[in-house]
Amino acid sequence: MIQALAALVGAALTVAACYAAGAILIDWLARHRAGAALQTGRERARSAAPGSVVPASSSKGMTLWRFERVPLAFTLGTACLHLAVFAILAAHIAYWPVLTVLLLSVIGCAVAKGSWRLRGEAGEPLSLNLKRVCIPLFGIFTILYFFHAWAPENSADGSGYHLGYVARELQAHGLERVTTDVYATFSGGIDMLFVPAFAIGRNSAAALVHLAFTMALAMAMFAYGRRLGNPWVGVAGAFLTYASPIVGIDGSSAYNDLGVAAAVFSAFYWLEIWDETHAGKALIPAGLMAGYAFAAKGTAFVMVPFALGFVIWRVRKLGGEMLRPLVTVILFSSLMIAPWMLKNWIIVRNPIAPFGNAIFRNPYFHPIWERELADVMQSYGVTDKRTLPLEVTVRGEKTQGILGMTFLAAPLALLALRFRHGRRLLAAALVVGAPYVTNIGTRFLIPPLPFVSLAMALGIGSGAGIGPPILAALMIFHAVSSWPDGVRRYADKFVWRLDHILINQALRRIPQDEYLRKSDMDYGAARLVEATVPQGERILGSRGVASSYCNCEILTTFQSALSQTLFDSFYVALVEDDQPKILESFQFPERAVRRMRVLQTGNVADPETQWSVHELRFYDHGVEIPRQPEWRLRAWPNPWEVQLAFDNSLATRWRTWESVKPGDYLDVDFGRERKVDEVRIETSSDYYQIRLQVEALDPSGHWAAIAKNPKVSAFQTKSSLRLEATEAMRSHGFHYLLIGDSDYGADDFRDDPVAWGLKQVAVGYGIRIYKVIER
Amino acid sequence: MSRFRYSNLTVNLRLLLLPGAVFLYACQNMPAPYAPPEQRQPFETFAPYRINRIIDMADGDADNYIVHDILRTGGTWRWTGKHPEARVFMRANDGLHYIVDLTIAGATFKDTGPVTLTFYVNGHLLDKATYSASGPEHFDEPVPADWVQVGKDAIVGAEIDKPWISPADGVALGFILNRIGLRQE
Repeated sequence: MIQALAALVGAALTVAACYAAGAILIDWLARHRAGAALQTGRERARSAAPGSVVPASSSKGMTLWRFERVPLAFTLGTACLHLAVFAILAAHIAYWPVLTVLLLSVIGCAVAKGSWRLRGEAGEPLSLNLKRVCIPLFGIFTILYFFHAWAPENSADGSGYHLGYVARELQAHGLERVTTDVYATFSGGIDMLFVPAFAIGRNSAAALVHLAFTMALAMAMFAYGRRLGNPWVGVAGAFLTYASPIVGIDGSSAYNDLGVAAAVFSAFYWLEIWDETHAGKALIPAGLMAGYAFAAKGTAFVMVPFALGFVIWRVRKLGGEMLRPLVTVILFSSLMIAPWMLKNWIIVRNPIAPFGNAIFRNPYFHPIWERELADVMQSYGVTDKRTLPLEVTVRGEKTQGILGMTFLAAPLALLALRFRHGRRLLAAALVVGAPYVTNIGTRFLIPPLPFVSLAMALGIGSGAGIGPPILAALMIFHAVSSWPDGVRRYADKFVWRLDHILINQALRRIPQDEYLRKSDMDYGAARLVEATVPQGERILGSRGVASSYCNCEILTTFQSALSQTLFDSFYVALVEDDQPKILESFQFPERAVRRMRVLQTGNVADPETQWSVHELRFYDHGVEIPRQPEWRLRAWPNPWEVQLAFDNSLATRWRTWESVKPGDYLDVDFGRERKVDEVRIETSSDYYQIRLQVEALDPSGHWAAIAKNPKVSAFQTKSSLRLEATEAMRSHGFHYLLIGDSDYGADDFRDDPVAWGLKQVAVGYGIRIYKVIER
Repeated sequence: MSRFRYSNLTVNLRLLLLPGAVFLYACQNMPAPYAPPEQRQPFETFAPYRINRIIDMADGDADNYIVHDILRTGGTWRWTGKHPEARVFMRANDGLHYIVDLTIAGATFKDTGPVTLTFYVNGHLLDKATYSASGPEHFDEPVPADWVQVGKDAIVGAEIDKPWISPADGVALGFILNRIGLRQE
């Protein structure tokens, strides 16, 4: 029960501090207006009603309706508070008292300044019919979501890397220099808010904070409808998004997608306010929220160009100064973006990490990772893309979630093109949804979903008489088809969704450990790792665990250049095509040379092809020239791993780790002139179309080709590649290997760990843990 | 030429080239050349590769390999029924041994007395063993190669002649199973 209460307190304080920070900023902006009279709420509503063309007001003031203060203040506050937490982490003072004082002082400040109070005009009262439909529908889904978020957190990404890094940063009391996990380079704008919540109430507190974003988004959408003068459109649009099954499960877990959606929608909302009121100050929150969208998730960077484009469009259309509004948006969005880009530039030498590793070359991530990730994210096993609309709406097992059956009618949103605001909503949906092509998982449709939902509601329910009944019917249908029992009837069996109301789990009547062990294999695996592996030992793993529940560091296959290279050694031992079974010999008249290189000259059509060299050796009269400390080795690309071609281990190899190109090379400077008459490359058969030539650097500094067309023969090693692969792992300080039971090669490790120089030390929850046998 | 020189746009774009070049130069992050690393020694005398397909009841995934008559109760051991069977996937069939670690429970032995277990691999009778006292036992017998097909599941089982029948509910209990499977020697 204490765990449950702590979660509530942690979440409540964080959410309250977010609202307080946003309210303070909004009030400050309202006080520092440019001078003209404020527009009343009713005037704004009239000017912004569907069909109105130009905002009636030329006011420079910026006031909000009372109903929009809470969601807009909360989302604006999240952006501000995330920077404060980032600063605390950067200063390495992230102790829970510091974080608690931060939250309390922001709340206290808001109370003292009077910003805590709800302000603004109340607006037109809501009709009784709207309340009759709205309150029970939102209420029942809120209960479902609330108890799920309050229950022990067991989502894959949430308990994995989102909260895994939160837990790790809190343990280190600050940001860590992590170069071995690409997830650590993701911008963590939402995760920053999980930090104080987690410090007080652990995992469930973070999930509750994310739920607050979900609720704030719905409130903002509802408010937007009221601002348009059509609360039914707002409430229906909000409910379409709020009750969507993917929103339910994602928004009540410690993910970030609803945070992204709330930030994006909020930026859009502030732009609309600016457009309506001409209050230049409204572009400050618009810029902050557009930048925060990027800080929340890199793919939401599109909100910045959208905001800039919107400003340019409106200024050109209505006249006025262009530079100041543009600079405002750029400046304040940069405030949110810059910390994350700087962090990545400092730590992994790539400001746009995890992407752009071929531009900002670094030793931590291979460029090929981006293409491999894109292949997976653009596929999800959906072979026929024409089925994607069905997959993301009613099936969902492949794309991991469904929007709900109602969204089969999403094309009805096009009816909103009749209205000015409908066109804007659809334009925003198009821009915000554009990155979806890079990742077709259902939850990547969440950011544009609010715009589509509102456009659907606007399109089919804007008629004065028949609109409300149609929208009420739509909401009831959506509620029935999105409730867990409804989803069960039509969606795939294993779709990611909520199942039932988790009251006993939330109240911890079922102990947290018992519930998590039964419901989450990754949690069980995390506990197994914790119980088996001594603290401080890094683990090499074919998969991760729920790392927020264990004090361990697991480097998994693809997440860094180091782990990718070490697993490549395992694959060399397992896969015949990767093994060094080919010897390429370049023979030429003996010559004294100081520097030589092997140059790749072929144009290779297949972008998957890499060039790899297990060992590069130099000979004179059949005797290998021993490698000397004064030799200097260079390579292009991937210069950081050139030593793998010179370590005398056939399980390791230098690879390009990107598409092979003419001009790629391995280069050796002997330090002084050596007599050489043969160059041998020990390599594998997993590539083709590569043409190599050996070149020597002449005294004038020009490379001259001295041998082409190598003699190719079979090569056989007597050494155990399995033991060499394990030795490569051990030499990097890893003494533990984690292999998932269903992962590639798992049966080989399981069949005979001794052949790998390993001993199985734990098994269960779908994993086996092996320890290196010390020699 | 003069258009280029006096065009504001061109001048502005050229001005952008300088920071652009500096920016891209900063992207390179090229390391200094490396010296050869420590030379690894080959592992030429290593243990030959052997397959070990023993299902330990303590394994978290042990239930996945039960065919029938082994109670799915979790824990480090399981009660069997009269004719327990499990499956193991084999990637080789030479030099195989059938391994069983079991316990004759004192609680059942006092009612059943000595029991005889018959051991099967893919339906072939491999051997029989009679246990005339309660306590832990180990069974280990070579398996003819042609009884096991490479790349397919092999069914390993045992049959007890006198299971203990619960007077309360009639459930038949055989013996306590700890490990069962095939090992390549």
